[in-house]
Amino acid sequence: MESTPIAVVSGLKHHFGATLALNGMSFEVGPGQLYGLVGPDGAGKTTTVRALAGLLEANEGTVRIDGLDPLEPGSGVRERLGYMPQRYGLYRDLSVDENLQFFGDLFCLDRKTFNQRRERLLGITRLAAFGDRRADALSGGMYKKLALACALLHQPSLLLLDEPTNGVDPVSRGELWDLLADFMSQGMAILVTTSYMDEAARCSMVGLAFRGRLVLEGRPADLVAGFSDVVLRVEPASPEGMEALESALVQAGDVVEAVTPLGSGLRIVVQGGEADRVAADLEAAGANVRRLTPGFEDLFLSRAAREPGGEAT
Amino acid sequence: MSDAIIQCRNLGRSFGDFHAVRDVSFEVPQGEIFGYLGANGAGKSTTIRILCGLLAPTTGTALVAGFDVAKDPEAVKRHIGYMSQKFSLYTDLTVAENLDFFGGAYGLSGRRLRDSIDKVIEEVGLQDHRRAMTSSLPGGRQQRVALANALLHDPRILFLDEPTAGVDPAARREFLSLVRRRVATGVTVFLTTHYLDEAEYCRRVGLMVAGHLAVLGTPAELKAAHAPGEIRILHGNSALLGAAVRPLPGVHAVQSLGGGIRVRVDATHLPAVLSAARNVAPSLQVEVAEPTLDDVFLAVVQGGLG
Amino acid sequence: MNKTPTPRTQVSHRVRRFLRRTLAVSRKEVAHVSRDPMTLYVALGLPVVLLLIFGYGISFDLDRSPLAVVDYDRTPVSRNLRESLTSSGEFLLAATPDSADDVDSWFRKNEVSSALVIPPGFAANLAAARSAPLQILLDGSDGSKAGGVMGTMSALLRNWAAGIAGPAAASPIEARVTLLYNPGLKSSIFFVPGLMAFILAIAGVLLTALTVAREEEQGNLEQLFATPVGRLDVVLGKLLPYLAMGIVQALLVLAVGAVAFDLPLAGSPFLLAAGTLLFLVAVLSQGLFISVIAHSQQVATQIGALSSLLPSLLLSGFLFPVERMPMPLQVIASIFPSRYFVTFLRGVLLKGSGFSVLWPNLLAMAVFSVLVLAIATKRFRRRVA
Repeated sequence: MESTPIAVVSGLKHHFGATLALNGMSFEVGPGQLYGLVGPDGAGKTTTVRALAGLLEANEGTVRIDGLDPLEPGSGVRERLGYMPQRYGLYRDLSVDENLQFFGDLFCLDRKTFNQRRERLLGITRLAAFGDRRADALSGGMYKKLALACALLHQPSLLLLDEPTNGVDPVSRGELWDLLADFMSQGMAILVTTSYMDEAARCSMVGLAFRGRLVLEGRPADLVAGFSDVVLRVEPASPEGMEALESALVQAGDVVEAVTPLGSGLRIVVQGGEADRVAADLEAAGANVRRLTPGFEDLFLSRAAREPGGEAT
Repeated sequence: MSDAIIQCRNLGRSFGDFHAVRDVSFEVPQGEIFGYLGANGAGKSTTIRILCGLLAPTTGTALVAGFDVAKDPEAVKRHIGYMSQKFSLYTDLTVAENLDFFGGAYGLSGRRLRDSIDKVIEEVGLQDHRRAMTSSLPGGRQQRVALANALLHDPRILFLDEPTAGVDPAARREFLSLVRRRVATGVTVFLTTHYLDEAEYCRRVGLMVAGHLAVLGTPAELKAAHAPGEIRILHGNSALLGAAVRPLPGVHAVQSLGGGIRVRVDATHLPAVLSAARNVAPSLQVEVAEPTLDDVFLAVVQGGLG
Repeated sequence: MNKTPTPRTQVSHRVRRFLRRTLAVSRKEVAHVSRDPMTLYVALGLPVVLLLIFGYGISFDLDRSPLAVVDYDRTPVSRNLRESLTSSGEFLLAATPDSADDVDSWFRKNEVSSALVIPPGFAANLAAARSAPLQILLDGSDGSKAGGVMGTMSALLRNWAAGIAGPAAASPIEARVTLLYNPGLKSSIFFVPGLMAFILAIAGVLLTALTVAREEEQGNLEQLFATPVGRLDVVLGKLLPYLAMGIVQALLVLAVGAVAFDLPLAGSPFLLAAGTLLFLVAVLSQGLFISVIAHSQQVATQIGALSSLLPSLLLSGFLFPVERMPMPLQVIASIFPSRYFVTFLRGVLLKGSGFSVLWPNLLAMAVFSVLVLAIATKRFRRRVA
């Protein structure tokens, strides 16, 4: 994607008191790109989005949207920006229609344009039947879709979504991501933050954030393909075999980077070059071994562990 | 009667006209990690509160550790440990003070209380943080303090209500390992979670939809039963690929990804799907993927099994 | 915008957008209020309830207060004085002891709450235009009651003295100047202006103090600030609906005052309207300012209640005259608009004073409003922490 980027974040640093929230955050989002800023709580995702939305002045670094500074009042940058905060930003005692009308008025849409867009957005979010319902009577997923509709009324060129799927059930999560994929293919630039690592696969570009900066960036498929470690599912032949399995893992030593329970067995992450040897050892200890596709969580943990002081807990 | 440590029969609870939980029956044998999944409002928290003796059922019965939750809730509470998403710790007390207080609330005192505190603090690896103010600990450590709290009185069943919400992935893995070590000693774990990948750690999983227990089984059984077919990730323009593949026969589900689509399709129809995809994306890259509990969840909820 | 905008169309375009956004905020605010019965209760119910409670409750009027009269003079003049005191209904002649020494026992039995001792030669002194002292004994165990008795009796004595000897006669006891413009001695009329300031200050400050703080607490501001809406749009948009509500409140209070307490309107109704409007803008601005600095509804309510209740109750001249306060308190009192409004209202309602007399009060309220509104807009940062 060689087109001019819409959002440019470069070298952002920010402190909240003694807490370092951003430590050199940099990335770009171009048109037709669905950029996922993925990372655990406290990685600086929300602070970055707020800096882009012009709600926060970072201590260092610059943020540009279409070349404009979001902190500059009257630069017209807010007309290009759709923002969906993590917290509930709509008015709970207003109805779906009233919320839409309010934001339509703030963007000074004329009646005809407003009605057209309202119809279209209510249609694609499947909220058309709920125009009179108060926002606080919507389910979590419906509320998020209304917030999305409000953020899209003025057809922004950049859409900022802070943890849109947090606390939303898997069905609504899927719907939201499908909508975002549609907007992306229509050429919108979208920045999404999420702490669900597996959602990175839904993005066209992923930045893994850790302690205020990116530790890894790329297309999801490339990132997974470039992951050198191997993920194995290890299952003892019988529940009694678990102890033998664990001692075999202890013997394997540092090449085993992570062990987590998985059903009645274990899921382990092994350094790439040693995978065959470890698998053979475990099979010799009576286990059933199968190779799994690595997830973004594996990627993230492997990268985070290499950061200075990376053992996150 | 089975010897399962949790037995629910036709459990129901309504609030006025609203049936939060209806006709739920299941059993959890001792030493199992049981995952209880569902959307917000599907009845997970209501079930867990009934099983912990905090809320009386309106219909049905539940036996927990051999005690009837409606008739003898206090006995139930003595045998269970409960940890909720919002760790109910006093953040202005130190780690040791929190444990001291909650241990007292469970009727522990003197030497027994001190021994229990020493034991759980070591178990969760917080020996060096006994005197740390709880508020000064990062989320992952607070979560371990909360777990230590729930383990103080050596419960036979551990109820974990979304224990990993908002905790970073490394801490999450660490936490689940701690839980698994307890399970190895025969403790039973009842876990609710939003993270469906976390449910893969459970031996069996129950899925709540609108107050019903819609499906129940091991993750592998559920995938085989409710998310059959082959999963492929097709790289390319998601809009074009989606439009080409979605209407084809045998296609169960299509998800738009940032750089392609993820499709679940019957094995017999897979070749037709791939050739349709190649029509819109000549240099199609295909990746084989595995079904997840997300697929199960979507299939169950959209298929109206609730 | 296909045409190249001239500077003039650009300006009118910007003004139109500004008005559109301001009205959008106002309309939304009206929807909030109409959906929240508590706000409506605070706005419209509270003023009436407060007015009735205070109007009837704080009455310092005496009703058949038991009085002992010791008449050493025993002349027609002294008898006439005794009757004029008891004929008005404020005092009831409960005892006529022969000696002042006996009065004490009446007080102890709680059968009288005041006593008047008329010394021998009282009538003769009056007739000779000499100073004619009287002795008044009060039950000091209830300070405010004693004050009421004292005030009422001295006023009655003045009236009586004026009637007997003409206005030139020296008053036997110092009379309270403040009763001058309340010839019927009805304290409720005197209190209504103070009450009105009190009620409008509380309701005005509290109503607006919550609005911005609520949006901040609920996360609305974060969404709002990412739109092109300006600070002034929000501040004015929020002010307008509450101003309208304040006008309704003011009319309600005046109407209840007129019906229940025979509140007169001696001065110009236009002046009254102008002053009331200024005061409303002042208190609403104060509330908005609190809302902007408070960050949470709880803090906003506390600061709002304190900063409206205390000054308008204690420092406005409503209950205690400001002129008699220690200097530091007078300085504090002069900051808040309540004291100017109370002075203004007493002037325009009771005395019929005009603009030429009352303008300093109007000016003070205007200065307060502009300053506070400016600071509120400036402090209203388009940032989230």
